[in-house]
Amino acid sequence: MIADVAVQRGKGEPRIAVEDRLFSLVLALLATETGLLKAEILSTVRGYAERYDPSGANANLERQFERDKDDIRELGIPLETVESPDRPGDNQSLRYRIPKGEYDLPVDVRFTPDELALLGLAAEVWREASLSADSQRALTKLRSLGIEPREPVIGYAPRLRVRDAAFEPIRQALDRRQTVRFRYIKPGEQSPRVRTVNPLAVVLHEGRWHLHAFDVEAKGSRTFLLSRIVGGVEVVPGSTFAAPPPGIQDRVLADLHELFLANSADLAVTAGSDAEVRLGKRAVLADDDAGVIRLHYTDVAVFADELASYGPEVRVIAPASLRDAVRERLASVAAAHRGAGGGD
Amino acid sequence: MAARGAKRPAQLKAPDKLVFLLSLVPYLLEQRVVDVADAAAHFGTGEQEIRDAVRLIATSGLPGETGTYQPNDLFDIDWDSFEDDDVIVIVHHVAIDDAPRLSAREAAALIAGLQYLSASPENAGSAQLASLMAKLTEGASAAPSRLAVAESEADASLARIREAVAGGRQLEFTYRNALGHEGRRRVDPLRIASLGADWYLQAWCHTREDFRNFRVDRMSDLVVADAPIEDHSDREVPDTLFQGSDSDLDVVVDVAPDALPLLADYLADSRTEDVDGRLRVTLRLAHYHGLKRLIAGLPGLVTVVAPEEARAVVADWADAGLAGYRDAPSSVPDDAQSTGPTG
Repeated sequence: MIADVAVQRGKGEPRIAVEDRLFSLVLALLATETGLLKAEILSTVRGYAERYDPSGANANLERQFERDKDDIRELGIPLETVESPDRPGDNQSLRYRIPKGEYDLPVDVRFTPDELALLGLAAEVWREASLSADSQRALTKLRSLGIEPREPVIGYAPRLRVRDAAFEPIRQALDRRQTVRFRYIKPGEQSPRVRTVNPLAVVLHEGRWHLHAFDVEAKGSRTFLLSRIVGGVEVVPGSTFAAPPPGIQDRVLADLHELFLANSADLAVTAGSDAEVRLGKRAVLADDDAGVIRLHYTDVAVFADELASYGPEVRVIAPASLRDAVRERLASVAAAHRGAGGGD
Repeated sequence: MAARGAKRPAQLKAPDKLVFLLSLVPYLLEQRVVDVADAAAHFGTGEQEIRDAVRLIATSGLPGETGTYQPNDLFDIDWDSFEDDDVIVIVHHVAIDDAPRLSAREAAALIAGLQYLSASPENAGSAQLASLMAKLTEGASAAPSRLAVAESEADASLARIREAVAGGRQLEFTYRNALGHEGRRRVDPLRIASLGADWYLQAWCHTREDFRNFRVDRMSDLVVADAPIEDHSDREVPDTLFQGSDSDLDVVVDVAPDALPLLADYLADSRTEDVDGRLRVTLRLAHYHGLKRLIAGLPGLVTVVAPEEARAVVADWADAGLAGYRDAPSSVPDDAQSTGPTG
């Protein structure tokens, strides 16, 4: 940074804003058919050229270029590297370009005012999550088509939240196809175990985010609950793996749904209680006289947490695994809150 | 809807600004002649942001053969209309003329958002959503990230609520509040909101003479009245689904650090204190009725420290729950049960 300022001061140039440099780079790479050499880019493109040293010491500028390339690719701009046919493997003769055909939105991808209104709502869903930046950028790109979205008929404010700290690092690893390592607590176990996995899909099912991944040590696919990952998610340096098949996320959801249907619980709910109102809406079978409802669920531990919150308003009749899990939770809550307070 | 451009972060990051520039150019070319104010409204930005961007674009271009950015290699605008009339006309352009493709992440974010919307009253079972998702996939420069949101079922009452909101009619229903008290309410329905699997109606309550959020799953016997809703345009519908009230009570708890986000809606302030590897925070709730459910639903993760009365309420709630199992046989392994995603 200090060196940059010194060079600028020497040349008496105002500092070029980052977006100005990135914009100039994208324009230059779009305009070239054959591609530009790194030396050409650094010595001519605005934002680099002002700081370029013809005598050769441009290490800072080269690193800047590497970061800019990554930033541009993250935005979905297809920045390509072309090897010289004469000198394969020679980094100095690599050429860079953005093929216009792969940059432009395909001509048949156009949207009606109704569709744009829906997309606006879809972006709204994420306004409290890290996906918000991505969906807002997508909307900005689509606004370039110049179509005004139709005003919605009714006010509707949809929202999904992502409260798992592991979500963002996992999603990044998923996109970059990087192997990750994290500590994970299996239900029924007290302490976490380190897992090393290749993330294949991230899905939201029954209000919980799930990671479907290939477990490197177990040599098989596993599904993890993001909420049971403790501590940080660490990327294994230099790791990569093959792209999972398209649509894998839909298959993972279908599998989870099958699991959901395979598990059913019979619950006795107190008439007129919150449990009756809220769980009753999800019941697949109800015996109103007996006050018993049947519900599907995916995960014993997750469902037991929810049922514990209803205290005496709900009693698990079956299965025993769920009944024990709820009883265990209530016992631990009671034990933790009996006697004097003050943090134990 | 105040959705578009209502609340933008004041400071966009450089990549976001780049996307804005790359999107503004094709828009200006397509429009040919456009007022700064119209462009700002279209992109949901301030007018000054548009002017700054236009100035930058107008002085940008290609290094050209000589590497010196000669006028012919630059964008150019009609400077007179721009400076005198605040009107943008690009008279020369280079390199770009079309909308950029979406990134894999951008397409995935919108697709997953649409999947969530498929449960909304507007879109239940809509074929439009499927074709829209296909278009987004085609419009992405790489296969969209493998991200998906399961379709959830909308509450049956939503259709009637929607009818009232769309028709601007008052709505009457029986509501069981969080304390379990039931009563008839008459409201001016204003907006339907959802958070995850939960649905809310944001409305002006004639009974309480204030804005209220109603959980849809606690509403019953809905009747759409003939009376039109009153004008509330002078007041803003609160954006938050969780409102404090005069009867708020503060409760000190210890929480496992990883579970802190689960309490985000209830934190009284941003203070945290490290106590034996847990975080000590203060929660603000309307009543103990909500507290005992919150704490019992996070077993092992949150423990109430003070006041003593709050600890007792939670302990009693859990004990009352346990009482239901006193006669039940002790653990019998059930072989047939699947156990869910275990990792």
